[in-house]
Amino acid sequence: MKFNIDDLPVVFPYDRIYPEQWEYMCDLKRTLDASGHCVLEMPSGTGKTVSLLSLIVSYQQFYPTKRKLIYCSRTVPEIEKALAELKRLMAYRIEHAETEEEKENERNFTGLGLTSRKNLCLHPEVSKEKKGRVVDARCRDLTSAAACEKGRVNPGSVPLCDWHEGLNELEPGTQLGRGIWTLSDVEQHGREKGLCPYFAIRRMMPFVNVVIYSFHYLLDPKVAEQVSKELSKDSIVVFDEAHNIDNVCIESLSIDLTRPMLDSAARSVSRLGEKIEEIKVTDASKLQDEYAKLVEGLQEADAARDEDAFMSNPVLPDDLLKEAIPGNIRKAEHFVAFLKRFVEYLKTRMRVLHVVAETPLSFLQHLKDITFIERRPLKFCAERLQSLVRTLSLTQLDEYYALQKVASFATLVATYEKVGFLLILEPFETESSTVPNPIFHFTCLDPSLAIKPVFERFSSVVITSGTISPLDMYPKMLQFTPVVQETYAMTLSRNSFLPLIITRGSDQVAISSRFEVRNDPAVVRNFGSILIEYSKIVPDGIVAFFPSYLYMESIVAAWNDMGILNEVWKHKLIFVETPDANETSIALENYRRACDNGRGAILLSVARGKVSEGIDFDHNYGRAVIMFGVPYQYTESRILKARLEYLRDAYRIRESEFLGFDAMRNAAQCVGRVLRGKTDWGLMVFADKRFARSDKRAKLPRWINQYITDTAANLSTDMALVLSKLFMRTISQSSTENQTGISLWTLEDVLKAQEKRKALEIDMGMQAERDEEIDEDEYGDSGLPDEILAEMEVDP
Amino acid sequence: MPPRRAQDHNYMAVDSDSDDSFIVEDGDGDFGADRTRGAKSKGKGKAVQKGKDKGKGKGKEQPYSWEASYTRSWDAVQEDEGGSLQTAVEDLLARGRRRRLLGPSTAIRRTIIRHLILILDLSASMLDKDMRPSRFDLTLEYARAFITEWFDQNPLGQIGIVGMRAGLGERVCDMSGNPQDVLKHISDRVKLEPNGEPSLQNAIEMARGSMSHLPSHSSREVLVIFGSLTSCDPGNIHDTLDACVKDRIRVSFVSLAAEMKICRDFCVKTGGTFGVALNEGHFKDLLFEGIPPPVQTGAAATAKTGPGNPAADLMQMGFPTRLPDTAPPALCVCHSELKTEGFLCPRCGAKLCDVPTDCDICGLMIVSSSHLARSYHHLFPVKPYEVLMDKSSLTITSPSVCHACALPFRESQQSKTPATAPAEGLSPLGRYRCPDCGNDFCADCDVFVHEVMHVCPSCHDPKPIPQPS
Repeated sequence: MKFNIDDLPVVFPYDRIYPEQWEYMCDLKRTLDASGHCVLEMPSGTGKTVSLLSLIVSYQQFYPTKRKLIYCSRTVPEIEKALAELKRLMAYRIEHAETEEEKENERNFTGLGLTSRKNLCLHPEVSKEKKGRVVDARCRDLTSAAACEKGRVNPGSVPLCDWHEGLNELEPGTQLGRGIWTLSDVEQHGREKGLCPYFAIRRMMPFVNVVIYSFHYLLDPKVAEQVSKELSKDSIVVFDEAHNIDNVCIESLSIDLTRPMLDSAARSVSRLGEKIEEIKVTDASKLQDEYAKLVEGLQEADAARDEDAFMSNPVLPDDLLKEAIPGNIRKAEHFVAFLKRFVEYLKTRMRVLHVVAETPLSFLQHLKDITFIERRPLKFCAERLQSLVRTLSLTQLDEYYALQKVASFATLVATYEKVGFLLILEPFETESSTVPNPIFHFTCLDPSLAIKPVFERFSSVVITSGTISPLDMYPKMLQFTPVVQETYAMTLSRNSFLPLIITRGSDQVAISSRFEVRNDPAVVRNFGSILIEYSKIVPDGIVAFFPSYLYMESIVAAWNDMGILNEVWKHKLIFVETPDANETSIALENYRRACDNGRGAILLSVARGKVSEGIDFDHNYGRAVIMFGVPYQYTESRILKARLEYLRDAYRIRESEFLGFDAMRNAAQCVGRVLRGKTDWGLMVFADKRFARSDKRAKLPRWINQYITDTAANLSTDMALVLSKLFMRTISQSSTENQTGISLWTLEDVLKAQEKRKALEIDMGMQAERDEEIDEDEYGDSGLPDEILAEMEVDP
Repeated sequence: MPPRRAQDHNYMAVDSDSDDSFIVEDGDGDFGADRTRGAKSKGKGKAVQKGKDKGKGKGKEQPYSWEASYTRSWDAVQEDEGGSLQTAVEDLLARGRRRRLLGPSTAIRRTIIRHLILILDLSASMLDKDMRPSRFDLTLEYARAFITEWFDQNPLGQIGIVGMRAGLGERVCDMSGNPQDVLKHISDRVKLEPNGEPSLQNAIEMARGSMSHLPSHSSREVLVIFGSLTSCDPGNIHDTLDACVKDRIRVSFVSLAAEMKICRDFCVKTGGTFGVALNEGHFKDLLFEGIPPPVQTGAAATAKTGPGNPAADLMQMGFPTRLPDTAPPALCVCHSELKTEGFLCPRCGAKLCDVPTDCDICGLMIVSSSHLARSYHHLFPVKPYEVLMDKSSLTITSPSVCHACALPFRESQQSKTPATAPAEGLSPLGRYRCPDCGNDFCADCDVFVHEVMHVCPSCHDPKPIPQPS
């Protein structure tokens, strides 16, 4: 259908629209007009992606500036889903365009998705590799500039990738035709035409209107520099499923080193040395050339990088690019010796048997005292290593992986010496273990560092997710000011989900995963009885979440001893998520099968695990989700402690506030897994007495919170069961009625729907005006504490 | 027969609706004198239950009523502003009317010769007491009522019963056209004591096997009463589903707990109905929805006879000679017993005890003409009566009494607040007019005509009844 938001004609590819989708699009439009950033929370399963795409594409097509859309999602299936949605949207737009000119205009609209080489590779041998790193390395061997040159001059001397070669014959921008290409489309096309899908997409990137890829391509500085540097400044950036964006930011700037990695790095260093000796004999001029180039400085080499053309890279600040590489590492053999020293130093540091936490500054001081390595050369370590690798035209780069990590570690340490980072050495894996297994963490404490270039460079950044409450936390943590900050309620024709908070067992013992009581037999038994009872009354699939693997293991062992598992087996099969991805996917497959054929199954999994993040349990795959305990992070972790301290000092976010926020967003993420659409239904059971506290409840997304009634907020197991049974019966009931309701609704006259839309439009226009007023009020009134604001939102 | 049935029927109609308003709270025995049917079996059931509980010890089966779930029967009934329950009762009546109006009034091709396998869940989950007295007892009670009513409405049909117990499908009763035979098999509660887990696949396969020989003109139906939420199957149940679709077996479910995906799949793919019982009354309603014969779908009809000729399907039936009491005793072919009464097959002359049945000797279908006639009303149902909303449709000559029972019409109190009444499908004047003969009937007679008689009395006998002076 077509309608106008203000002056913008929007094409929406469905005949019906949910009210929240409309509101969402209005707010989005406001953000784009204002060229600002926004945070939007929209319930899962209400068509967030399609409303986003349909508004932005309408915006792009209507205004002559043709701002590019960069859409970041989390997983490959999600990227593929978004692409398919975009494809459908464009097909609809072409079909409904009025004039031939417009049609042509729509046809020229191009959209692409990008994912790793591993997912796209067509090379018969390379694509068989299991590890992404190995695929990358082998691909580089076959496609690097040096190899290509050699191969072309002297065919057959060096193995080359035929698919990659096929691309060179094509003009830039014509590697793929216009239109929308899903990943599988590109792969299919590549197979037919003998083109490499990965490089085809990479080379098409500057010419397309929409790019859909993973967060890392924009946030991880190492990758962003290669992939995203050509994106123009007025692009619209969307982070979908962005509830974990702060963690992604932090991960992209953190490095962990272990003993085996250092050993491997040391081996690589000596191999580098040998290689240099070798090349000195055969081709000394090469090294000489490199040296000359380095003398001139990186600035010359990167003259093309004018400041506006690419994103500033936090790993390589501007001043670094202008400086020349310091003299003591310019010569290859010197640099190798330098690396050797540094690796040896790190190794000695790892011999310490107590925990060390220090700032980069003190680390550098200590380094200088012991090995006389200065800060400046360290800073250039990564760049210098790259240059050397290029000069030596090394192959099989994956073997140098550890060394590359050490080099980027060195660069990061030397670059961010001041704030927001911490070095932590943990000699033992767990508190109780006696065999040392040291890990050297270089952790970023400030998520805003990695995302800063994105906010600075792009004028409109949209952060959106199904569960991103409380909204004001994200601007605070990521250091930006949003123009619009909105959460939407869910309009449902029936209460299709029932959130329940169970605070005590049938025997009135309070249940909680608090550390002091979590292994109390009474609590374990009560958790068990919740599982048994729900396995009896819930059809098909149940997903149960625990705060951690450790706790899950201990509680499942205890349940086994108590005979609880035997009782559950009578009603449902039990599957368990493990840290191993393959095992988990087999468990999931069988879980799905058991749900399909009526046997019923329970999946025991972990909040923050793979299951809780990326996997949907729609319809019969998840009729109930049970949260056993509040999924707090492991608070004894030194990294977390450091981060909390930093947040308190730098942004005045209290520790408890952040921990509560983090726990609740994960809980919301977990329970949100079961509800993936408006026809879906399920139970959401929060089993912990702490969920009943209003500060916790206020942190849940509004669409969940609005359905927690006071009676359902403080239940014992048996009371919850009565409510659940009733819910199960009534919802199974109305689903039959509801289906006729829906079909009648779709059969309604199109005109009537249009009228309804018009009325809604006027209504919404007024609403939007009012919203703006309220917004202004909110900004004027910054004195209100967050808790009160949050509660005010909940109240109506 | 009619008077008894009339009572029974009225009684059931009210009972089925008012159960949600009257749920006996006490778990410990006295289930109320108002429910005489099946009271005996309940008493027995209780005794068994208690003995079992003692044997197993407490904690397994919810032995005490205070451990049972909260029943808030009063929530189901809403009082109006005056504190009267009249609105609630009327609402229930109106619901029945509306449901009837939804049904098609034109002639529809329906299957008259029906074959139904009733699958009873006999797994441990049927011992749950969320329906009083327990799911199992209630199921048996309703199953009996269902079978009686089913045979009454479909005299040419046959029913078989399969139980799901301990992972197996058990044949409780072979396919039979005699209600007494079928009822006998489920009269003994102890034999059917629930145990173990159910297996949908086994039970449906067994039902399918026992219907595979049936001729194409008869319907094949399976009705599952399912209390459990799991199914332990030996193989892939989706294969069974495909086989059912292929064999055109219509599978319907009445679930006592919640919607299971596989159950719904069965119903959607085979064209059956799926329902989840909210409470005792609703359970009965859902079960009894299976009584009217299913509409024959176009696909099934054309598959047999080819397009454009859906009606040409003749079958042989025989009308037997009934033997009087005074006839000399002879052995019957069905039980080999010496009897005086019975029926003689018109083709081979074999003596049969009951009709309708298939002759054991020559296989001819033996029916009595009254059975055939009773089956007929499904094809030509009585049209729903028009609801008279206001006095404008009345003329001076309109009689002031019901055409059928000759009692004066009761004008509802609700007429003062017409805002609510018209939408409900209830007449404020208490008058319902037959669209064919134009006579007015009261609400009670309306229900009686449509649910029991299935024929409009005045259309067949247009003489006006004498007005009381």
